[in-house]
Amino acid sequence: MSVPEIGQSLPRTEDERFLTGQGNYIDDINLDGQAHAVVVRSTHAHARINAIDVAQALALDGVLLVVTPDDWKKEGFGPMPTKTAIRKGKNDMDLAEPPRHCLAMDKVRYVGEPVALVVAETAAIAIEAAELVDIDYVSLDVVVDPKKALIDGAPQLWDDIANNLCLDFELGDAAATQAAFDKADHVVTLEVFNNRVTAVPIEPRGAVASYSPETDSYLLYNATQNVHANRDTFAESVLGIEKEKLHHIAPDVGGGFGVKNGAYPEPPLILYASKRLGRAVKWINTRSESFVGDTHGRGQDSTVELALNKDGKFIALRTTTIGAIGAFCWTVGPFTPTGGSARTQGGPYGFEAMYYQAKAVFTNTHPMDPYRGAGRPEGSFQIERVVEKAARELGFDPVELRRLNLIPRDALPLKTPMGLDVDCGDFPEVFERTLKLSDRAGFDARLAASREKRLRRGFAIAPYLECTGGGPKEFAGVTFVENGTVDLAVGSQSTGMGHETAMPQILAANLGLPFDDIRYHQADTDKTPIGGGHGGSRNLEVGGSAVLQAAGEVIEKGKVLAAHIFETTPEKITFEDGAFAEPGTNHSMTMREIIDASFDPLTLPDGMEPGGLNVGSTFERGIISVPNGCHAAEVEVDPETGKINIDGYWVVDDFGTIINPMLADGQVMGGVAQGIGQALMEEAYYEEDTGQLVTGSLIDYALPRADDIPNMVLAFYEDAPTAKNPLGVKGAGEAGCCGAPPAVVNAVLDALKDYGIENISMPLTPEKVWRAIHAKG
Amino acid sequence: MPELTMTVNGKQVTGSVEGRTLLVQFLRDSLALTGTHVGCDTSQCGACVVHVDGKPVKSCTMLALQADGRDVLTIEGLAKGGELHPMQEAFRENHGLQCGFCTPGMVMASVALVQENPDPSEEEVRHGLEGNLCRCTGYQNIVKSILSAAKVMRG
Amino acid sequence: MYDFKFHNPDSLAAALESCSQAEDGQFMAGGQTMIPVMKQRLSMPSDVIDLGSVEDLKGISVADGVVSIGAMTTHALVAADGDVQRAIPVLAALAGGIGDPHVRNRGTLGGSIANNDPAADYPAALLALGANVHTDRRQIAADDFFTGMFETALEEGELAIRVDFPVPKAAGYAKFGNPASRYAMVGVFVSQGSDGVRVAVTGAAPCVFRISEMEKALSNNFSPAAIKDMTVPAADLNNDIHASAEYRAHLIGVMAARAVGDAILREGAA
Repeated sequence: MSVPEIGQSLPRTEDERFLTGQGNYIDDINLDGQAHAVVVRSTHAHARINAIDVAQALALDGVLLVVTPDDWKKEGFGPMPTKTAIRKGKNDMDLAEPPRHCLAMDKVRYVGEPVALVVAETAAIAIEAAELVDIDYVSLDVVVDPKKALIDGAPQLWDDIANNLCLDFELGDAAATQAAFDKADHVVTLEVFNNRVTAVPIEPRGAVASYSPETDSYLLYNATQNVHANRDTFAESVLGIEKEKLHHIAPDVGGGFGVKNGAYPEPPLILYASKRLGRAVKWINTRSESFVGDTHGRGQDSTVELALNKDGKFIALRTTTIGAIGAFCWTVGPFTPTGGSARTQGGPYGFEAMYYQAKAVFTNTHPMDPYRGAGRPEGSFQIERVVEKAARELGFDPVELRRLNLIPRDALPLKTPMGLDVDCGDFPEVFERTLKLSDRAGFDARLAASREKRLRRGFAIAPYLECTGGGPKEFAGVTFVENGTVDLAVGSQSTGMGHETAMPQILAANLGLPFDDIRYHQADTDKTPIGGGHGGSRNLEVGGSAVLQAAGEVIEKGKVLAAHIFETTPEKITFEDGAFAEPGTNHSMTMREIIDASFDPLTLPDGMEPGGLNVGSTFERGIISVPNGCHAAEVEVDPETGKINIDGYWVVDDFGTIINPMLADGQVMGGVAQGIGQALMEEAYYEEDTGQLVTGSLIDYALPRADDIPNMVLAFYEDAPTAKNPLGVKGAGEAGCCGAPPAVVNAVLDALKDYGIENISMPLTPEKVWRAIHAKG
Repeated sequence: MPELTMTVNGKQVTGSVEGRTLLVQFLRDSLALTGTHVGCDTSQCGACVVHVDGKPVKSCTMLALQADGRDVLTIEGLAKGGELHPMQEAFRENHGLQCGFCTPGMVMASVALVQENPDPSEEEVRHGLEGNLCRCTGYQNIVKSILSAAKVMRG
Repeated sequence: MYDFKFHNPDSLAAALESCSQAEDGQFMAGGQTMIPVMKQRLSMPSDVIDLGSVEDLKGISVADGVVSIGAMTTHALVAADGDVQRAIPVLAALAGGIGDPHVRNRGTLGGSIANNDPAADYPAALLALGANVHTDRRQIAADDFFTGMFETALEEGELAIRVDFPVPKAAGYAKFGNPASRYAMVGVFVSQGSDGVRVAVTGAAPCVFRISEMEKALSNNFSPAAIKDMTVPAADLNNDIHASAEYRAHLIGVMAARAVGDAILREGAA
């Protein structure tokens, strides 16, 4: 294959493997002599554990071990700490972090919390034995609603944490914001609810662990998005061993979306079991277990206040959020409703002042952690919903009101009142392109056609502003093999996004090498010294930049070698179109020739060893990038049933430089589908009194199917590559689910505007829509 | 334990299973054909779809013994002589997969869909995928892949 | 799943024999509900008698104004059958809308009615069409067959052999699916036959039921307008996170009108 280019839709390397059944996912990994583990999960949302009787379970033929909280105490294993970047709240208040152990100590605090681990010869025996573990619970009062959890007298999850308050956070200038509200002509207020959802990657989580007594070290295969950070937690925080003693590998991972990012309790449990038994131990979650055993996301109740002057110009924004974080802080749980939602407040609109405050609250529900977007989709929904309400309430055209308030191109770069560094882009242009794409001119005809069918039709446009996140450092190692292969190892990780293609594409394009020469390695703590895994749309920005930086270092080394061969100095060597040359001479060697030469001891300069072009390069991001764009949706609503059909969907995204448009499209499509799922279908719904998760399987948790999702028309705005990273990219992975919920919900409300319906909380199920119509007659 | 014999991907295989052994367990655990995936426990996701006697079924909702004497085709048997099936090729060309976990079931379902309806409309394709969940792609490129493969398969 | 002894009889007699011999035997038709239930460890039969090889239970025939479908005929075969499509087109359409393509290749008529899931489609068709269920020992009218939630008139070890559907003058079905499971949240089957109009509702209550007021109104005037303002009391309807009883009551009215519209359309097309 030829040398690829940046911007080329290169088909994916990994696809042939996945399409022929040769993928290697966690459940495909079997180690010799492995035993099988099943987690015994709490059936209570809040209860004291009186006693755990494992006698019957142990008596079952084939049962090898039952790990209980007592084992954990005896071993002195530590809790898994939260790594949230936000640790301080109002008045210098410290984050309240209760200890999160791998097994419930004395009390359970959510349905699904691991209480014990059963290990047996087969999975079937382990399942049977798990049912025989007899746990004597004393029920305690339950609280699942974070607003209620804050009230005096509510059930308390933690003895030493008053009113279940983990963190009371603020950002922005409260006084300036109040002053702006005081002088405003209009104030529009809206209660905005962001439903609690869960990611549901189609592959359930699982892990396989083994222990080697010879080296006193562990091997862990784990369906995780982040091998390095979780290795550190498992080794250092829990097991109390050096991190080098734990080799952590993620095989092919079947989707993540944030839910496989954090440190879960099961891997340390099976690591421990594998050492105790002297056997490998495998554990695979069922789908239904995943609903009560995977982290959830979103789950915010907010009051959003928008101050405007009489012309419709936005002056100030104030958002007050109560964010559920579940029973523990988990890995970065408290970050989402606080820093996560604060940063992009106000979207791409100009404001004089902003103030954001949020309480992160413990409840008897599964802990929260990032889910695709981690706070930004919530922020985007908050601003777009209140803007839509303002337009209706004050009599502005929703399109015009937005157009009026978008930050103009010449105002960039700027820092938003939330401190976000917006360096480049053209929000008005992206907005106008989206409008054009969505065929506004044809709307009236489509509206008339819908009316013929006794359906309501509505349209909404939703510009969004995003930002990236995740670990700021990434490593890229390039190793040249004498047979011509180039090994590229990067510490970021794909769980389906196509890094195995995009990252070699960057290297090959920059070195002028055929794409097929490059072998990609990821998600292995032995392959890269550091790694930030997957999260915060960080891969191209941080990992891709590391690859580019590594390519540059290879070229510099190549110049030294070329100079030696050409008998000149490196400064005189150019590298263009894959060749090193000395201008003004006929000296020229291709990258391939230089690589070959690098293995010939006779051609090497002093100080260069054979294979001396190898580099290991760590890139550190300075400032996060600000992806932005605009979504538009057209919907039909059947007023008789409340059923919604999304009839048109358009997106223009500014992701800076597009490395592989096909992959970028895929990210947008998937994100939009998840956003539509949140808007219309999905909810992790807990029963108030019992804390039972009612939507605990795919029979009750509504996941979008192919006919729930419309065909989307996508385009990119590529005229504003960012200077924040050398590739010029702005993260693409999470943008889709920032734009979709407001676009869809506002379009539905537009369709129903004749009824005077102001708000319907997500998910907009047919019954809720029907009720809203019905209530208005 | 009961014995069974079936043809899997053109080869006759025998094995002994329990009554409760699911077809997917037999394929994965006994035959090491791990391309067929298990994504749920309530027969919703379709990651486990294989063909039995030419028809797509959920191999997690069929006992291995119910496939005794039958002809089973899994994702591993779809490509012939190193050549990808047009459906596999179309998924690759159109980015019809991301994480790849739903893909084997999705591809097997798609092949059956086009065999049943060689010239489907987009709407028919979307409706025909009712038994398969994907969380990565938003389905759009899957639909595109199927429509494109249908053209090739029609010849 | 608990283990069990598996039987694969190739005749009706052998199937009945196996079941009667077993300590706690259970027939398995397509297994599309039974296997998931067993996987959840909610049922633990000692013996499973698979009916997949009993040819006597399969097949479709249409004669003398009756569509006769063997209990082990899959939904896919019913949906694709030209004779069914001509005789009772909506019955083929209903079968083609059960579950998903993969489920339809395994799931059967007999399994569906014997299970009598409150949200299954077939019970509505049987009840509205006034079908008769033939078992290994007797004939049971649909009106008497569906007795309660997951309950039927079938006795211990009794097996449904086939169902006879009288061909109606017109029939239609409208279903509002549960967004997660896609089972009927409300499904209404309407038929106009020799013994009048019948309206059967599935998904809305613990068991499929008829609405006599609607039947009366439609007997006088078989059009959606005839039942336009008719309300169904919500009191006995299902109430869950997907739909309240009140919403289901409302949907019954909407789906009934649409089912009548469907029936008229199909009759016009015939």
